[in-house]
Amino acid sequence: MDDSHTQGRFRRLRQFVQTDHRYVVLATSVIALIGLWFSMQPRSQMSFLAPVYALELLMYYLLVAWLIFAAAALMTKLAMWHNYTERSPFARKPLVTVERFASYVVAIIAAVLFIDRAVMGVASSAATAIGADKIPRGGLEAALYMLYEGRALFRTGILTTVELAVFGTIIAFFLALLMATLHLLKIDRADNDLVRFFKVVGSGFAKLYSTIVRGTPMMVQALIIYNAGFAVLLGTGMSSGQIRLVWSTFIAGLVTVSLNSTAYMMEVLRGGIESVDAGQTEAARSLGLSQWQTLLRVVFPQGIKFAIPGLSNELVINIKDSSVLSVIGVVELMYESRAMAGIYYKNIEVYMVAAVFYLILTALATYLLNRLSKHLDAPRLQQTSDSIHAAVSADKQ
Amino acid sequence: MTINTQTIRESDTAENPLVRVEGLRKCFGNHEVLKNINLTINRGEVVTIIGASGSGKSTLLRCINLLETPDSGHVWFHGSDLAAEHVDVNSLRQNIGMVFQSFNLFNNMNVLGNCTLAPVLLKKATKAEAEETALKRLDEVGLKDFAGAAVSTLSGGQKQRVAIARALCMEPELMLFDEPTSALDPEIVGEVLEIMHRLAEQGMTMVVVTHEMDFAKNVSDKVVFMDEGIIAEEGHPKDMFTHPQHERTRAFLSRYLEDTGVG
Repeated sequence: MDDSHTQGRFRRLRQFVQTDHRYVVLATSVIALIGLWFSMQPRSQMSFLAPVYALELLMYYLLVAWLIFAAAALMTKLAMWHNYTERSPFARKPLVTVERFASYVVAIIAAVLFIDRAVMGVASSAATAIGADKIPRGGLEAALYMLYEGRALFRTGILTTVELAVFGTIIAFFLALLMATLHLLKIDRADNDLVRFFKVVGSGFAKLYSTIVRGTPMMVQALIIYNAGFAVLLGTGMSSGQIRLVWSTFIAGLVTVSLNSTAYMMEVLRGGIESVDAGQTEAARSLGLSQWQTLLRVVFPQGIKFAIPGLSNELVINIKDSSVLSVIGVVELMYESRAMAGIYYKNIEVYMVAAVFYLILTALATYLLNRLSKHLDAPRLQQTSDSIHAAVSADKQ
Repeated sequence: MTINTQTIRESDTAENPLVRVEGLRKCFGNHEVLKNINLTINRGEVVTIIGASGSGKSTLLRCINLLETPDSGHVWFHGSDLAAEHVDVNSLRQNIGMVFQSFNLFNNMNVLGNCTLAPVLLKKATKAEAEETALKRLDEVGLKDFAGAAVSTLSGGQKQRVAIARALCMEPELMLFDEPTSALDPEIVGEVLEIMHRLAEQGMTMVVVTHEMDFAKNVSDKVVFMDEGIIAEEGHPKDMFTHPQHERTRAFLSRYLEDTGVG
């Protein structure tokens, strides 16, 4: 399904470029203008057009010529608005072909200028930054310098952030499933008093948990969890050094993310599960299934499907929100960025780099989760019998 | 408390009714939906419950397998009171099949999965045994070829036939039908009614809430007319449709009687 969609888009693009070509004059004029703008930018040291200045001049005037030609074509279009295709010389067969190939040339020239100025410009900055022995003055160079010098720090930071978010979300999913179940179990006539007691206590606990966790900031939770864990272990007679081995800031951070995300995921799951039609439960119970069997076999598989978008969102949120764990000293992306800012006194540049990393991580997570949810939505069972299709089409008639 | 159905079946004497409802009351908030209902259902009997919307027909049916919990009264089934606290409703329900107005097929399974879920979980049948039974039941409702089909590809009539097959796979002693044809297009009501008719002829004990007066008149052994939470009149369909005793029954049946020229 995905493939055919991509193919369709590709075919449309090809059709637009080769046959349709309705907006050739307008669209390539914009491209030509962008090319001209690039050619007016100062060239970097790595510019490959610098030695062949004559060629660049030729390209420049080709773009200008195209703009004049396009202006003329657009004038006739304005003048002959209603019967442009019949009357305008620009819409006749030989000229249309010329226009098409000219537009390709314009696009290529603009692309070459883009590479010469923008791509080679960044590459040149990067080369300067990597070669520098102290932080350069320019913003882009400074950012690239820190990115290069701090690559090991950023790598550990990103890895820790991803680990916290991925493991935290997975742990939270299972805890949330448990908590949502506790929240949803209702007293059944068949239950004995002990089961009834546990159901009441469980549901109350789930509600209280959700209220407390969602009502307090994760930064505060992290500080409480880390220090409380530390205090408890001190009470057992361990030394601070031993405790740091067992109760590391990473473990405390992971516990915080998991417990925090559990509360939100529980609400997402509950919403998904509650949106399953009550008739599904009634049918399962009428066959004799217990409340637990009904949840496990009928309600959860459908409810989790409804909840997938919300659950995916939790991973993205955890990637971003794990940044507050730097307060307890978890060595994740934000912690490393602050360390870099402390070394070089270039706050804006460092945090811009951090922002770009977070953006890349969340975009990647969103893309992968979308792929996954599409995959899960695909029909589980391939129909084997032709009679099904026959019956369905007969039904429609 | 687990009930061994086998021993109960043997100990039950034939003259005992299969279900006996005694003094059943049910309120939704302040509204009393069922007021002191008494009803017996004998083995092999087909009982249809008719009445206007809101008269409590469906609630009564849903009290029999405890989808609704009665406020007071008894529902005797197999010597135990379904309405009592702590009774093992789950194992008793295995003997009571139910067919819903809106089919309620499990959307996360295909047709065969719908029919085998409960037998595999509850009757400890192997998957192969359960599938064999399920295919037999699906064949009886004419949908054997659809065993692998996703539920969403079926028409309403087909869904309801699968729902009947699903209930029959548990080999119940009693089948409850809650307006099984009300959600169907008029032209496909027949295919479902035909299966119900055949089931009645095979001796299945059935309680049917319906607006299909022809079914009530021709197939059932007893017709129960409900009005505002009470059983206003019950009796043999012939008497009921020709000489309704009560004014209310007459009023309710009047349009049907006029339409068909009976009475």
